[in-house]
Amino acid sequence: MATTSDGLTEIVTATNVDLSNCDRELIHIPGLIQPHGVMLVLRSPDLVILQASENTETLFGIPALQLHSKQLADLLGPEQGAALNSAIEHAGDRLNSGPLHLLRVPSVVGRMSFDAIGHRAGNVLILELERAAAVVPPPLDFYAEIAPNIARLQATTSLQAFLDLAVTQIHAISGFDHVMAYRFADDGSGEVVAEARRADLSAYLGQHFPASDIPAPARRLFALSWLRHLPEVEYVPVPLLPEVREQIDMSRAVLRHVSVMYSSYLKNMRVHATMVMPLMKAGRLWGLISCMHHAAPLHVPCETRTASELLAIMVSLILAEKEDLDTAAYRVRMSAAIEGLVGQMAQDPVYHRSLSSGGFTVDGWLDAPGAALVTEAGVVLFGKTPTEEQVHGIVEWLSGYDNPGPVFATDRLSQLYPPAEAFRAVASGLLAAQLVPTRPEFVMWFRPELVHVVNWAGDPSKPVQVDVVDGEARLTPRGSFELWKETVSGLSEPWQECEIEAAAALRRAIAEVILVQLNENLRRSNAELDSFAYAASHDMKEPLRGIHNFARFLQQSTESKLTAEERGRIETIIRLTRRMDDLIEALLEYSRVGRTEFALANVDLNELIKQTLDLLETQITETGTVVLLPRSFPDVRSNRALLAGVFANLVSNAIKYNDLPKQERQIEIGWRADSAGRIFYIRDNGIGIAAQHLEHVFQIFRRLHARNEYGGGSGAGLTIARRSVERLGGHLWAESAGPGTGTTFLFTLGETSADAVQP
Amino acid sequence: VTSEISRRAIVIIEDSDEDYEVTVWALRRAGVTNPVYRCANAAAITELLTDPSNWPAALVEPYPLLVLLDLNLPGADGRETLLKLRNHRVWQAVPVIVVSTSGRSVDVSRCYRLGAAGYILKPVDLDAFAAAIKNLVAYWLRTVAPSVPNGAVAA
Repeated sequence: MATTSDGLTEIVTATNVDLSNCDRELIHIPGLIQPHGVMLVLRSPDLVILQASENTETLFGIPALQLHSKQLADLLGPEQGAALNSAIEHAGDRLNSGPLHLLRVPSVVGRMSFDAIGHRAGNVLILELERAAAVVPPPLDFYAEIAPNIARLQATTSLQAFLDLAVTQIHAISGFDHVMAYRFADDGSGEVVAEARRADLSAYLGQHFPASDIPAPARRLFALSWLRHLPEVEYVPVPLLPEVREQIDMSRAVLRHVSVMYSSYLKNMRVHATMVMPLMKAGRLWGLISCMHHAAPLHVPCETRTASELLAIMVSLILAEKEDLDTAAYRVRMSAAIEGLVGQMAQDPVYHRSLSSGGFTVDGWLDAPGAALVTEAGVVLFGKTPTEEQVHGIVEWLSGYDNPGPVFATDRLSQLYPPAEAFRAVASGLLAAQLVPTRPEFVMWFRPELVHVVNWAGDPSKPVQVDVVDGEARLTPRGSFELWKETVSGLSEPWQECEIEAAAALRRAIAEVILVQLNENLRRSNAELDSFAYAASHDMKEPLRGIHNFARFLQQSTESKLTAEERGRIETIIRLTRRMDDLIEALLEYSRVGRTEFALANVDLNELIKQTLDLLETQITETGTVVLLPRSFPDVRSNRALLAGVFANLVSNAIKYNDLPKQERQIEIGWRADSAGRIFYIRDNGIGIAAQHLEHVFQIFRRLHARNEYGGGSGAGLTIARRSVERLGGHLWAESAGPGTGTTFLFTLGETSADAVQP
Repeated sequence: VTSEISRRAIVIIEDSDEDYEVTVWALRRAGVTNPVYRCANAAAITELLTDPSNWPAALVEPYPLLVLLDLNLPGADGRETLLKLRNHRVWQAVPVIVVSTSGRSVDVSRCYRLGAAGYILKPVDLDAFAAAIKNLVAYWLRTVAPSVPNGAVAA
């Protein structure tokens, strides 16, 4: 950090503000506490005192260091020590979730009364004995005091009314003279959105506070506990004794020493006591309820704190619901428009047209004066937008943007994309939804720049200043919280959560339509390919037949005149025509499996497999293969003809590729239940398949052996079997531990679970 | 009677010269001496489906005995031709045997529904085809009593 040569105060600017002490100060392990109580660090589980705060001497008359390795009874006397020990034991695991009020230690002569509060921090137990209030308030009556408050909070009809009531109630319960609801913006700055105060105090309502006022570590701590109380801003911190190398984590401790930045900040605001409760929404810090006392220090008794804390928890629970209230009508309007668009897309699947004409378009229902539809068919602009060329620029930038996600939203486009400076008047705000991840197609909405005045509590560009004290530079918070007006440019009205959700919903709907279209196109081109394969192979047969027949004529008419070599050549021509015929026949079969419409029905697999084996009887007998059927088969809902083809192909294949001596060859046909459905298998003890060839066997006409080995065949059987299984909704694959280990072919049938439970 | 039958033509509707030649070869090999009348294109089929008064003389006296119909004809749908033959005053009394490359059961059944008297495949195997033709001849020329179309001059 720079200091000016003349030693005067240097102003820290907005650009170097993250150098603030507080972001670096380890505020959760200060080793110090506030003086309105005593802290004891206890070993678990024997509750031996490891550390005690120095003020045990003033509050209990026993020097802290003397308590090291002692028991609670040594501080509180045998009776109270035992009571506290058993309270801790009784609390058990509840101490893990944060400070818990254990008991009230009554006053005795020469000693005031204390509230004993315990919680676990790592492997130690932190016990805090907080001075009880001088006047003990009457016990809290939940049903009389808190329940009606909650009922009234629930009855409010807008977020503003809800927050107004919440601060009023906490103002009344807590006794603080200034209670504010504070809401965080995305950039970490905050705004006072509701307040209840003593009439003579100056209002903060509507004022903004820079992010550095509540830096990240403080926000983390606020989110961690439901209540933070600082009864006296001006205090002398008390150390824990004996000093240790590794300070305990006081993140959740009631008496934790606060950051010097925080206390000087409060002093500058002329605040003597505070109490802060987080406003959580969906697990994230939405804002704070901040209570301040300007009149004097204010120690809020434990009971009152519990009541306030309970209220704060309820406020957080109801918050999301109230926030939704404000946008309910808007959300209904938006989803109606999205439904309308989906309807139009169903009528006219050319989405470029159906999203840009008709009763609904992408424009007019989301609160933005401009919109654009960018598809491969072109750009359609609605309302106030950048030019087409500028929109193309945005598309190009968005397409290359690092992980923009399916929906991209910003209220400050020109800061992220400098060329947008040229059209910031119409498009400082951009909400963009990419229709399909791989295509530069978007729906976009634009919001104009909103030059407006932000009321800051003090100059936000100078949230801290550097003071030189004793020749040492030190950061302190700004001294003035006077209203400071800033004119903001380059920003639009921010996009609301429900608007981003609507853009995402529209994107999903469009993506679905596009996907259906792509599938339809794919299906059509597959069907065309099948028709083509069918026609082509059919037409190939005619000349092939001619070659074959005329070669045979030649063979017959020249038999006696030719040499053996010449006769051999004619025979080769005839053999090759037969081979070619096999290939074409396989291709036809393959295309037939893809083209044929089929119906599903109950198929008795036992009967089907028996028939398959009957058909292969000759092959089975000749090879001496033993066929094992370990268990009876279920009925399946499938197509009999396709399934019969699959079994015939796989069984015949399993018999064929085996070079063991006869009587040793065996195949097993079975099934097993799997979480994903039933798996059918045909296992053989044949030649096996090397890992790198497991997929090759399914390629059409791909041969892994010479054609005359293992009984030949067209080389399309497994391809056809796989295609049949896939048409039936299942998968077919091969497993083998390698050559010589046998092969198992497995398949599923894409049955739904409802099918699977059928008997 | 036999000599009367052997005077009646066998009509072969077939566009492929090679297939036609092989069919004739197979018929002759099976001992068929009947005249063979070939219809090689759509125009010839159209002529065939008109009134017998427009027919070439070879078909009229006597009327043909049998039709061998190839299903895959350029410019004419074989099934359409089959249907028209079945609805023709004279042809409806003449058995039509379909000769096709398609062994698909839907194709076979459809032809029978349309009135085909038989259906044989053209395999890429000369001997198998010759055997099929031989059986066909044995049945239609030497076993069953021949059909005599309406208006034909009785023998």
